Amino acid sequence: MTTTTLSSAPVHPNVRNRFAWFNFWTMGALAIGGVVILPIVTVIYMAFTPGDDIWAHLLSTVMPNYVTTTLTLMVGVGLGTMIIGVGTAWLVSMCRFPGKTVFVWALLLPLAMPAYVIAYVYTDILEYSGPLQVLLREAFGWTTRRDYWFPEIRSTGGAITMMTMVLYPYVYILSRAAFLEQSVGVLEASRMLGRGPWQSFFSVALPLARPAIVVGISLVLMETLNDFGTVDFFAVSTITLGIYDVWLNMNNVAGAAQLAVVVLVFVMLLIFAERFARRKQKFHNAGGTYKVLPGYKLSGWRRNLAVVVCALPVSFGFVLPGFVLVMNSVTYFDAALSAEFYRYALNSVMLSSLAAVLAIIIGVFLAYAVRLRGERFLKVLVRFCSLGYAIPGAVLAVGVLVSLGGFDNALDGFMRQTFGLSTGLLFSGTIAAVTFGYLVRFLALSFGAIEASLEKVTPNMDGAARSLGHGPWQTLMRVHMPLIRTSILTAAILVFVDCMKELPLTVILRPFDFHTLATFVHQYASDEQFGEASLAALAIVGFGIIPVISLSYAMTRSRPGLTRHGGNVQKAAQ
Amino acid sequence: MKGLHIFGLSHAYGDNQVLRDVGLMVPAGELVCLLGPSGCGKSTLLRLAAGLEPLQHGTIVINDTEVANADLFVPPEHRRIGLMFQDYALFPHLSVIDNVTFGLTAMGSKEAHNRAMDMLDQVGMHTHIDKHPHMLSGGQQQRVALARALAPKPELLLLDEPFSGLDTSMRARIREQTLDVLKRSGVATLMVTHDPEEAMFMADRIKVMGDEGRILQAGRPHDIFYHPKHEFVARLFGMMNRLEGVVEKGQINTPFGPINARHIEDGQQVSVLVRPEGIHLTDNSIPGVNVEVLSTHLLGHDSLMRVRRVDDHDGLEFHVRVHNEFDPALIYPINAHVEPEYTFIFPRDGGRVFDQQDRRDMEASDE
Repeated sequence: MTTTTLSSAPVHPNVRNRFAWFNFWTMGALAIGGVVILPIVTVIYMAFTPGDDIWAHLLSTVMPNYVTTTLTLMVGVGLGTMIIGVGTAWLVSMCRFPGKTVFVWALLLPLAMPAYVIAYVYTDILEYSGPLQVLLREAFGWTTRRDYWFPEIRSTGGAITMMTMVLYPYVYILSRAAFLEQSVGVLEASRMLGRGPWQSFFSVALPLARPAIVVGISLVLMETLNDFGTVDFFAVSTITLGIYDVWLNMNNVAGAAQLAVVVLVFVMLLIFAERFARRKQKFHNAGGTYKVLPGYKLSGWRRNLAVVVCALPVSFGFVLPGFVLVMNSVTYFDAALSAEFYRYALNSVMLSSLAAVLAIIIGVFLAYAVRLRGERFLKVLVRFCSLGYAIPGAVLAVGVLVSLGGFDNALDGFMRQTFGLSTGLLFSGTIAAVTFGYLVRFLALSFGAIEASLEKVTPNMDGAARSLGHGPWQTLMRVHMPLIRTSILTAAILVFVDCMKELPLTVILRPFDFHTLATFVHQYASDEQFGEASLAALAIVGFGIIPVISLSYAMTRSRPGLTRHGGNVQKAAQ
Repeated sequence: MKGLHIFGLSHAYGDNQVLRDVGLMVPAGELVCLLGPSGCGKSTLLRLAAGLEPLQHGTIVINDTEVANADLFVPPEHRRIGLMFQDYALFPHLSVIDNVTFGLTAMGSKEAHNRAMDMLDQVGMHTHIDKHPHMLSGGQQQRVALARALAPKPELLLLDEPFSGLDTSMRARIREQTLDVLKRSGVATLMVTHDPEEAMFMADRIKVMGDEGRILQAGRPHDIFYHPKHEFVARLFGMMNRLEGVVEKGQINTPFGPINARHIEDGQQVSVLVRPEGIHLTDNSIPGVNVEVLSTHLLGHDSLMRVRRVDDHDGLEFHVRVHNEFDPALIYPINAHVEPEYTFIFPRDGGRVFDQQDRRDMEASDE
């Protein structure tokens, strides 16, 4: 062939050396990813840094207690949510009884109720001076504690109950999706082979749904580990609470980090279980036809039992506490306002909005960088960035505090050396630190939603836009952004609401005397002034309902056969 | 030279080598078809030319300017190429007119609108400008995609299976329309397809690509059909009768008598391919071997039959294609003979066959 034309061909003016490893998107994603995983890396680093090694001390003193309590809590909440979640999911998916269509979405409502809020409400009702015990004493003429037995709400059992009541929807959503996905044919085959409805449930439907149930319970247990408000209020000494204690009360950074690593071990096991189950899920999606589910028509006592079984979690997980919150809010309305409700509400909304906007921008950037570049290490890094969601807020808070402190000190030292002026602690103890914490913890939410939505846009769209003369930025702005608009909005709402509810990170990282609605509720409840904080708690629940509504909307619309993988539901459930 | 020039292109996904030392040239105004089975790497070649895939080995030159080689890479937005995808990839959130003006960023909006309207007029879609893609039929989407790709007056147009999304009744008409528009625009076009008929219809020249990512033969549609150089190329156009044998004294023996094979060495193992339409059935006024018809199927324009030599009941069965309906009862006995033009002989070791026609081909494709 004519090689002469080759050598004489002029070089195109817009040439890029393709071996240049510097690329805006890769470097940008690396930088952002590096900053986001910094707190996680810091915690791990600190725990294994030799120094005043307090492992031995921890082991001989508080550790056994922490671990036992944490395990008890996890087993209790895991079992509780599994029984309620799977049971109600089976009833509303496979049976017909009065109110079924309402229960399908109403069973999700407790998701809007943070565990700590429900804990405050029930303590208010059930404690010695609460209305129920007062009523009982009056009715039976008891006068002191010794006259009767009443369960102590501020206990491990109490914490298990509270968390079970608000966390079971995770298991419910995922197992319902799994039941809906099961081919009716499989169940029919089981019936034809002589098994009754109950036997079919235990021998066919339940095993097929097992991976989904495991995913749901893993998510529940991650939330259980994350919980700070409930265990703090009930003085149930879990490791998570221990971190807070060792950090603030004993002033021991390394100790807190070492406890944090123990929590990380739990988290890793949960992530492993979840990933493993998700992989299995693919095989368990028994193909075939997706007809409308049979719907065993229940009658007599079975019907009544089904109604009661579904009504109980909704009533105690949402209706009753919601009612108490509303009543309290009305009663203590003026008191709440004079306790600067508006200021804290504004703080919450501003912080959460800021975090949501940042999470969206960074989520879009990372997801698009992965799409553009597709380098393997970039994908791995981004996976690591998504770990924040599984890591308890208290653990992340330690990481954020230490890494920001280190950065501040380094910056201060540098500025003093070169310019002779001290910047002091620039970020530590500021709103920036809180926002950063939120970002690290909830980036997975926005990234996951955006990535899933981007994946649905065919790469040919990119190709078309690029060949029509648009660069990567223009393509993002003119093609992808309009196409994934809805998912971005959904992701923003999810992050916003989770930030509104967030307690442990905020408590540890907030500036002195700075309150969000959540910390305000926590503080007032701890001071036995829950009435004044009810309006704030109600506001948190009110915001929490937004994603629940969209989730229930998605669930009622998803007919069997339409969402074969239940992908949206699962994403939303995270 | 205006147009696309590709040298020594090789590409692999992991261990899977999809392109091996591929070279091709598409001069301005010409339409070249890359014809090959699915998964043979032809779409990869298109993506490499467009700049959507990082180049691994080789050189790509557009309009005498290198756009990709081992050291440099011009991003797709600077290559001035039009690209039309199999799924058209119309932007679902934009109307027809906005889709077509999308690439006209260098012009003022008035000018862009006029240019887009002109293109839409050419493809006959100017009455649908405010519709969104989901409101259009497959054929309409295809025409909008063509208008969108041509609107910025690209130096080179790449078409990836442009008609595979259309149903057969529509395909022929759209194909003709598309060819008209392309010829009028004078753009150099590289089209990828797995459909031989489509390639024959559209192409000025065809490049046949085999499973191993190598170009097996290049030439005009006539050459590809009448002078295939590989068994693979000969088999592209449907069912073939295949025999095996050894060349003796410059010819090879077949059930239909000896066939000239002087261009192949004596003693060479060969396969002989005969197109079903290359076997002629006549009455015994014309010399041939006596055959019996085992089955006959009317396919529409022609009939497909299975025949066998009368004197050899365990012998090979052959497929025969004849025009219109064939009733074996009407003529008896039936004689069959093969037409040399539809008969191809290939060495069994996969080597090439050289003859006069081939030499001329090679000279033509070297340019």
